[in-house]
Amino acid sequence: MDPIFLALSLYKKRCFEECVSTCTELLDKNPFDQAVWVLKMKALTEQLYVDDLEAEEEGIAEAFMDNETIAESARPGTSLKNPGTSQGGSTQGYRPWTQTGRPVSGVIRPGTQTARPGTMEQALRTPRTSKTARPSTSQSARTIRLGTASMLSEPGGPFIQLSRINLGNYAAKPALAKPLFLYILYHENNIRHALQLAVLATQACEFKDWWWKVQLGKCYYSLGLMREAEQQFRSALRQHQCIETFLRLGRVYIRLDQPLSALDVCRTGLEYFPKEVTLLTEIARIFEGLNNMTMSVKYYREIVTEDSTNVEAIACIGMHHFYTDQPEMALRFYRRLLQMGLYNAELFNNLGLCCFYAQQYDMTLSCFQHALSLAKDDDVADIWYNIGLIAIGVGDTRLAGQCLRLAISSDSGHAPAYNNLGVLELRKGRMNEARAFFQAAASLAPYLFEPYFNHSALSHKIGDLQASYIVIQKALEAYPNHIPSQELLHTLEKHFTII
Amino acid sequence: MTSLRNLEYEQLWLNAHTDTRAAVYTFSSCITLADLNADGDFKLIVADLGTGSTNVKLKVYKGTSLHSETALLDVPTGVVSFYMDFSEPRMPAIAVASGSNIYIYKNMRPYFKFSLPSMDVNPLEKDLWMQVREEQIEVGVLMELLNNLRLEIGFAQLSTQSQHLLAQDPTTVPSFVQQYCKVPIKRQTVVTCVTTLKKALADEKAVSCLVVGTESGEILVLDPEAFTILEKIKLCHQESSTLIVPAVLSAFGLHAVEFRIVAACRDGSLRLARRGWTESKLLVQLPAQPVAMTVSPENASITIALMNQTLQCFSKKGKLQWVVTLPAAACALCPIPLPHQSTTLVAVSLNGGLLQLYNGRQLVDVIKAPQSVSGLVFGKFGQEENALIMFTVDGSLLVKILKRTAHFNLQGGSTSANVVPGVAQQIKLQIPKKTRLFLDQTMRERDNCVMMHRTFQRDLFQLRVDVARACVQALQSCNNPISLEGAEPVKLSAQVLGLGPLFKMVITLQNISASTLIQDIGILFHFDDKMYSMEKPFIKVPILLPGVEYPYETMIRNISELALSDQIRVMVVREGQTQPVLAAIINMPVCDLLGMV
Repeated sequence: MDPIFLALSLYKKRCFEECVSTCTELLDKNPFDQAVWVLKMKALTEQLYVDDLEAEEEGIAEAFMDNETIAESARPGTSLKNPGTSQGGSTQGYRPWTQTGRPVSGVIRPGTQTARPGTMEQALRTPRTSKTARPSTSQSARTIRLGTASMLSEPGGPFIQLSRINLGNYAAKPALAKPLFLYILYHENNIRHALQLAVLATQACEFKDWWWKVQLGKCYYSLGLMREAEQQFRSALRQHQCIETFLRLGRVYIRLDQPLSALDVCRTGLEYFPKEVTLLTEIARIFEGLNNMTMSVKYYREIVTEDSTNVEAIACIGMHHFYTDQPEMALRFYRRLLQMGLYNAELFNNLGLCCFYAQQYDMTLSCFQHALSLAKDDDVADIWYNIGLIAIGVGDTRLAGQCLRLAISSDSGHAPAYNNLGVLELRKGRMNEARAFFQAAASLAPYLFEPYFNHSALSHKIGDLQASYIVIQKALEAYPNHIPSQELLHTLEKHFTII
Repeated sequence: MTSLRNLEYEQLWLNAHTDTRAAVYTFSSCITLADLNADGDFKLIVADLGTGSTNVKLKVYKGTSLHSETALLDVPTGVVSFYMDFSEPRMPAIAVASGSNIYIYKNMRPYFKFSLPSMDVNPLEKDLWMQVREEQIEVGVLMELLNNLRLEIGFAQLSTQSQHLLAQDPTTVPSFVQQYCKVPIKRQTVVTCVTTLKKALADEKAVSCLVVGTESGEILVLDPEAFTILEKIKLCHQESSTLIVPAVLSAFGLHAVEFRIVAACRDGSLRLARRGWTESKLLVQLPAQPVAMTVSPENASITIALMNQTLQCFSKKGKLQWVVTLPAAACALCPIPLPHQSTTLVAVSLNGGLLQLYNGRQLVDVIKAPQSVSGLVFGKFGQEENALIMFTVDGSLLVKILKRTAHFNLQGGSTSANVVPGVAQQIKLQIPKKTRLFLDQTMRERDNCVMMHRTFQRDLFQLRVDVARACVQALQSCNNPISLEGAEPVKLSAQVLGLGPLFKMVITLQNISASTLIQDIGILFHFDDKMYSMEKPFIKVPILLPGVEYPYETMIRNISELALSDQIRVMVVREGQTQPVLAAIINMPVCDLLGMV
């Protein structure tokens, strides 16, 4: 068989490693065979290609050293930074918040973890385990590790020596320039060189190729030059409408914290590509970020009518139903996920909770036992915590205490478990232990209002009004509309001002 | 709507001067404006209370610059300017009340010191000190008898010397007695507040008397030339023993004709004194402690800011006129007379830096300061008629000038007052409808209730067994950051800080028992030495007191070449015991290889 044909066939079958080795052999014989060179480059790129739209994550440095911010305190409902301000959104009262200060979402995406915390210290203090840590910048080692092999040394030196290559030569040849660009961007992750090539290539094709403009925009975006990226994407969209370009332009606006403009862009995209699922997903996510769950769920529903196996949409709708007091509806959505073949601890955990609250008691505990048997190290704590909730619901406080302790022993930073343990201790009348647990919960998770409120109520009960007053203010900082906290503060203020 | 209003507000005032590094820490009572050199250029005289490390000073600002500084001996309670005599040129004197003295400065030079008259000392107390001096009784006996005397007449009725002695540490008592028994004992009171009252003429530059409130519950009116006590008004009744101490004073009228002095007292009462009275009359008992007060010269109504976040107004008879709830706690208050609009506004500074201007109960203007304003005064400053001088809690000085053309909208009714009734009833509660699915499921539950209950109970028993097994396993592997019942009452929590490869781990230990002490324990780290190197693999823990959180820190370096992360086990161990007391697993973060790239 012709070795070039073999290599092509291997590439089509996605056997990239074999393809690369075949190409290497061919190149050893004839180093100037451009077709093989391009094929090897493409195979190497494909090996390491990641969907950078989905895997994108905003780093700590981007969130803090943000020089694009226009308003320090944006108007309610126009910024992703303070989701609590939107009107009609869900509150912590009935939908718990994650450690980044956002309502829990149906699925975990990089975006759901990148809420912008108030202070640098808070950002650095969020438990940074291998699954939850944020990178310090979006150009940090993690993306490089995700996207490139350049960290590991290759035998016989790298395939292409970027510093030696004359980019001007390649820029004029579109057939070579495009794969070379993708190789530099995804395999080498060298944005500077990629940008250089893109600039030369755009000039070579006299600014007529929209593809190069999108790539230029991509480079500017990863370098943090948002306004330049916006310009490139807009210019590309004038020439040719493409879903990816709409999404990328939307991302630029999200990074600029202008979610309403991002929504506009996605809606314009929908005019060209009606009912396009990726655009609808983007819109639903932005609404979720703005804490406008009703609109978000509306778009997720549209997605489900188009693509009835979309896991993200089904999970998000299910979660929404669960927290709007319709566990029986949530149960139906999660059952659908189970039928689709999803089989993991999180799903069984959610099914168990739905069954319990929808009063289908016979299924509840078996779901949790499935969940426990499937659970990996990092979610077993949550499952124990939820079993603890069931035990509290059943009225077995001893079992509840044991479950909560198990939750803490598998994750020593599980703040809600500490809080609930504190409440159990309080019921037993052991004030000192209860206070220690509340303090622990509050120091682990300053975004939760419950430990503060409980601590304050406890202090108020034993007559330590000063401590109660200090702590209740923190509770109100975490959740300003919590009525019992407001009432407690009011009582305390009366105590203090009365003569 | 709101932003428009704000713009309108801003236009009324000009920013004349802002000095964020003035470092003057003061209150409204210690600020005054006076034409010190009789040249029509009004100076700002302010007593700087300092930060505790700096000295107390009397500062004079001429325009925007500091003109002179005079050191003060003690912390002042009030600074006022007044005209003492008719001599030309008409230069006002400055009175600084501090301790039991009032220092009078003229032309910024010390001129006179007036001491409050000393009060009668209890004869028994005098006798006791005399006996100690003549060594007739022991120091211990003196202490005991003084203590008895204290119980009998109250601590406040004792002399300063005895008060100090009773507050002494037992070891220093003999030396204290040795030092002070030779000194004649005195009982002296302290000035709490000071203000001025025109003597015979209502002219702007007429001679004024000083009105002084004292800690002994009296108001004294002093003659400006001879410094004799013209009036002495007791705030409390003769028969009742509790002291009523004035906190804020306000006086108006003419001493020779008719005057009224309003005193807001520390027990929350508002009291009135008039010419010829020897005792004050209770006007009203306030619902909370007073912060600051002003009395309108037109109708003698009293506007007072209270500690319960309200601004209240009383008529001259003590009848409550209105109450305004303030958005934050009030810090200071000052009147703003506007003769061209024939009204007097009241400026209230609030905690957080907001300044609100009220005309009666109507909010007419809002000024924003960068910090809470603790000292606030309005009047002539420099050549300017209407200047508002603000000192913030962080020591900065702000001067704003009211525009000549400024016209406050006094007629516009406040919109917040006329809230449409029944708004609360119109809010719809979002209660989701019960779905058909729910009804179906309820039917299922009703039909199969016995089976469901049995399954649930069986599963629950199974779960209990599983949980108990898991608990035992956790116990055996000592995988518990909090102790179970019966063991050491210690709680452990850990936090990892840093981006890597160098991390800091903070271990917090807390003794959660009510009273038992915990000692002889240590913290041990168990980790893979190919992955991490640790500064202190073992930390010896000293004694743990109940309820206190003890943080311990150590540095951890990731020495692995691959960007991997591992777990670290933290164990709390007891000396001579093989099994750890507590243990926790810490998932270390991946380190960002930013430095390595």
